[in-house]
Amino acid sequence: MNAHICGIGWVTGAGFGWGKQGGDCSFSDLPLPHLTRKDVFPEPNQRFGRMSDYTKLGLAAITFTLRDADLETWVEKRPIGVVASTRLGCLATDLEYHRTVLLNGGGLASPNLFAYTLANCFLGDAAIQFGLTGSSVAINETDVDGLGAIKMALEDLAMGEADTMLAGICDLDVPDAFVDSISLRPGALFLALTTAPPSIPGGYGTVSLTEDGGLIHNGIKTNSLTGLVLAVLAGRTAVQPTQHNTTLDSPE
Amino acid sequence: MREVCICAAHAVTGLGPDLESLWRGVMAGESAIRPLTRFATGRYLTGNASWIEGLETKNGRSGIFALLDQLLDGFGPVPANAALITASTKGCVDTMELLQAGLPGNPAEIPMENLLHHLSARFGLTSPGININAACASSTIAVARAASQIAAGRSEAVVVVCMDLVSEFVFSGFSALQALSAEVCRPFDRNRNGLTLGEGGAALLLMSREQAVRKGLPVLGIVAGWGAANDATHITAPARDGCGLIQSVRQALKRADIEPEQVAAISAHGTATVYNDQMELTAFRTLFGERCIPMHSIKGAIGHTLGAAGGIEIALGLKCLESGQLPPTVGMLEPEESGEGFLSRSAQPINGHYFLSTNSGFGGVNAALILRREEM
Repeated sequence: MNAHICGIGWVTGAGFGWGKQGGDCSFSDLPLPHLTRKDVFPEPNQRFGRMSDYTKLGLAAITFTLRDADLETWVEKRPIGVVASTRLGCLATDLEYHRTVLLNGGGLASPNLFAYTLANCFLGDAAIQFGLTGSSVAINETDVDGLGAIKMALEDLAMGEADTMLAGICDLDVPDAFVDSISLRPGALFLALTTAPPSIPGGYGTVSLTEDGGLIHNGIKTNSLTGLVLAVLAGRTAVQPTQHNTTLDSPE
Repeated sequence: MREVCICAAHAVTGLGPDLESLWRGVMAGESAIRPLTRFATGRYLTGNASWIEGLETKNGRSGIFALLDQLLDGFGPVPANAALITASTKGCVDTMELLQAGLPGNPAEIPMENLLHHLSARFGLTSPGININAACASSTIAVARAASQIAAGRSEAVVVVCMDLVSEFVFSGFSALQALSAEVCRPFDRNRNGLTLGEGGAALLLMSREQAVRKGLPVLGIVAGWGAANDATHITAPARDGCGLIQSVRQALKRADIEPEQVAAISAHGTATVYNDQMELTAFRTLFGERCIPMHSIKGAIGHTLGAAGGIEIALGLKCLESGQLPPTVGMLEPEESGEGFLSRSAQPINGHYFLSTNSGFGGVNAALILRREEM
């Protein structure tokens, strides 16, 4: 089964954005940007300021992806599922929360921070923000190619669990106390995948699973998330002039 | 779609080191909930939990490894071609506590991939593993994922390992949220006042019918259907109308190709918080009408084991189908009015072939799994 990629959004140390906005996505060792509400939502958002940094990171990347896929606005809840792969999850929030536990024998433990000490918590915020009622799970994996969440989303689409899935990765910078034992390139990136062909020309191509569990983008096997993102955004560059001309020639 | 069989099931809980001791304990109405000695609880709402001897950190090593030793020493061999799926919300959280307190511990234990590598090596598996983190529905979704992989022909066998510890980290958090009962939890009781935490693990071996036959393994039950949904309402509270749970169960019924009337018993999440239990009763009334299906919760017997809860409840569900009996809801004294006829302080007979097991959790997560009795 081929799934169509209809959106891509990211936050990395090099910046944040989404496919149709232009720009490239590159994961780097640079620290992640400090996201404000205005970076993510044009309108006031009462909840964003209270969220953990991990949740802000994941929610921002999901927001940009849905914006890119023209799925940001909604009226009724939608059965869109989300799979997010993470190595450290909410470890930074865990450490922050646990410091409140160490004070006064636990008597000052913060309930607000505790609510964000699950790796899937940002998916709950995304579900509320965008009315997403499909299955939402965070995963940890042993594969190092970064493609686990996308493969899982493709499996869900093939099984008919949903018609549209968001899949990607989300990790904050490694906390200082762990930099000697854990290394990763921080950031968040999501793709929107759908079984429905795009209604207008363009898009980012298709992805599918091979029988041995590999991933194919536009007929070419890809071995890493980085490679897939490069190919997806390169495809965007190729189709942009056509889309642009179509818009200019439109009677509207 | 291929048929998905469960060929081995094991559980370690506060009621004992195996599934048999859990079964005997819950059928006898016993509870493993008692005062905790692992850490000081004086500043928390309660000092009670269902806990297992010997799971303290030792020499800077997480107690989760001792839990896995207890769990897997009693679990049979796993085919080398099996995939590995784990379910845990906090994994080696006790190691993080050690490090935060300035005590010796290995930071490399903390990423969940470490546990996956540990288990892969222990089972002798070659394929990659994944851990599912979907709060208190983690292991239900893990078993659903395993079933989906087998049904679609992507795996011949999947071993699912579910685990979580009682840690001060989690204990303090639920206390801060005012979610802990000061006594022993009373699921679905009209005077329930919060949950009691527990720890434990479950291991399940799922296989295609073809591989189970080839290996000559017993079939304990069939995974007939599954579903998962987010209620998109609140981070820590369930949707009052049960919309996410209803959607999950309807998906599971559709996947199993059965009508609601064919569900013979329910293992509910039943945490004993006011809102969770009411949400579940609302959802089940919507799904099943006035028909009184035997329903229970085991949280009063073994506490809320978080990411392991669904796995333990599915393992117990296999025993229920085998024996044709649903254990009592331990801790419940007087059922919530809307649960009358569903719930009992005594064991109830199961008259039918399909068993529904559900869980819900933080982040709006809901999951449902339908087991079918193996035809004799």
